[in-house]
Amino acid sequence: MNRLQRSSYTAASIAALLALWYAGGIAFPEVLPGLPETVSALIVVLTEPGPYGNMFYFHVWKTIEMLFAALIVSMIAGTFLGIALGRNETLESTLSMWIYGWLAIPSLVIVFVSAIWIGFNANSGYFAVPVVITPFIALNMWEGARTLDTDLAEMAEFFGAGRIQTFKDIIVPQLAPFLFASFRSGLSVGWKITLLVEAFLLTRGVGFMFKRYFDNYDLPTMMSWLIIFVIFLIIVEYGVLAPLHERVMEWRPDAEGVRVTE
Amino acid sequence: MTAAEENQPSAESSGTSVDTLELRNIVKRFEKPGQGEILVLDGVDLDVEGGAFVSLLGPSGCGKTTLMNVISGLVTQDQGTMRRGGRDVAPGDLSLGYIFQEPRLLNWKTVSENIEFALEARDIPESEWQERTDRYLEMVGLGDEGDNYPTRLSGGMKQRVAIARALAIEPEIILMDEPFSSLDEITARDLREELLDIWKQEEKTILFVTHDINEAVFLSDYIYMMNTQGEMFARRNVNIDRPRQYDDPAIAQRETELYREFHENVVH
Repeated sequence: MNRLQRSSYTAASIAALLALWYAGGIAFPEVLPGLPETVSALIVVLTEPGPYGNMFYFHVWKTIEMLFAALIVSMIAGTFLGIALGRNETLESTLSMWIYGWLAIPSLVIVFVSAIWIGFNANSGYFAVPVVITPFIALNMWEGARTLDTDLAEMAEFFGAGRIQTFKDIIVPQLAPFLFASFRSGLSVGWKITLLVEAFLLTRGVGFMFKRYFDNYDLPTMMSWLIIFVIFLIIVEYGVLAPLHERVMEWRPDAEGVRVTE
Repeated sequence: MTAAEENQPSAESSGTSVDTLELRNIVKRFEKPGQGEILVLDGVDLDVEGGAFVSLLGPSGCGKTTLMNVISGLVTQDQGTMRRGGRDVAPGDLSLGYIFQEPRLLNWKTVSENIEFALEARDIPESEWQERTDRYLEMVGLGDEGDNYPTRLSGGMKQRVAIARALAIEPEIILMDEPFSSLDEITARDLREELLDIWKQEEKTILFVTHDINEAVFLSDYIYMMNTQGEMFARRNVNIDRPRQYDDPAIAQRETELYREFHENVVH
């Protein structure tokens, strides 16, 4: 499928969704806010200052700030933890049960406990979000570390590669697909937890806006906020992650590009 | 001994030359889960003469790779010594290249970058990389593939890159561990002949591990034979003039003799 075909399928799917929404809004007005109402609510959100005189981008930025700060911390902690688990059997047998236990704690509980420990402020969020997403990343990197090729490690050892060269040229490239998968799963889990924190504990951010308009039973405005954030996440995926992934994975042969000579 | 003589493939001499690498009484045991300790190398002696093409022949799982890894330093022996010119030597004192059974290339780096990986690891000054990369890729017939990725090359071409990588660090001795065993026979034959050309032209010493008697006879000056008990039971010269032809009856005959000897010592 070429680029044009792919974009036209994407455009068609967006058009179909909008049509369905429009029809659904007329058929079930109590459940689904109408498309026209949502669009006018979205315009209000985008152009007029909301509660406490803050424009929409202030809230979006606050959410992004917490989400990405948490992702950076979790990517570092989770990667180290995962690699350690994958490379060290003693650590693996000691800790693996606790990792699964950690994953089993409901994120809501973590958010509430953080609020009790730290208070009803942003610091609770900066604590709770990494605590929730780190084990997801660790689990991914753990799997990645288990697949590291010992033959390549032996080759590097034979040629006398140092620690830095081995890490940079042998370990990281093998873990790259797992790093991308970790980041994606961290992002998708992390933004939900960030919203929870904002809805329960804070007075800014996208989560707080959802809570506020939920209190007013204002479905069109809630929809507007949802649209804003979904669009943001799609931009992150298609604008940043996918091109980066493609660049890093450039060496992988694609079906048509395989050129075998001899 | 003059430099010219040193590099003569000397099938007849008995390991007294100063640049002969002498392994004496090498013993290695491994712990195997469930089987206890197994003896992989049982007092192995081996002479690798300077400039010679030496093969190490034995059935699968007889410890050939372990012996290579002892020489290369990837494995430390439990007992035994390596000597050269009357002195004990460690793997770090030797100038070695290694070509593994699999190409072991970094798929995420181009062919040239794969060679540069080895050059960087060996602390070769960066100013020499370009020249060496070009020279050795040219030598293995891959002069145009420097910017290509290994994933786009055939198995034979990947192994050529691995050969170029080993040559690029300009070692005296090249260790080769069944490098052609996973290639089809036609590709393998081409590569064997090219390997012999490179060996002669570059005046390298090669220690070649194989389980293929025909391959060993075609390539080698002399052959060491190992059994599954980790013992080296024979050293046999080949004594066939080079360049050799695959269909030379002398090769077939030598192969039959060695096979018979193998059969008596290995298959019970």
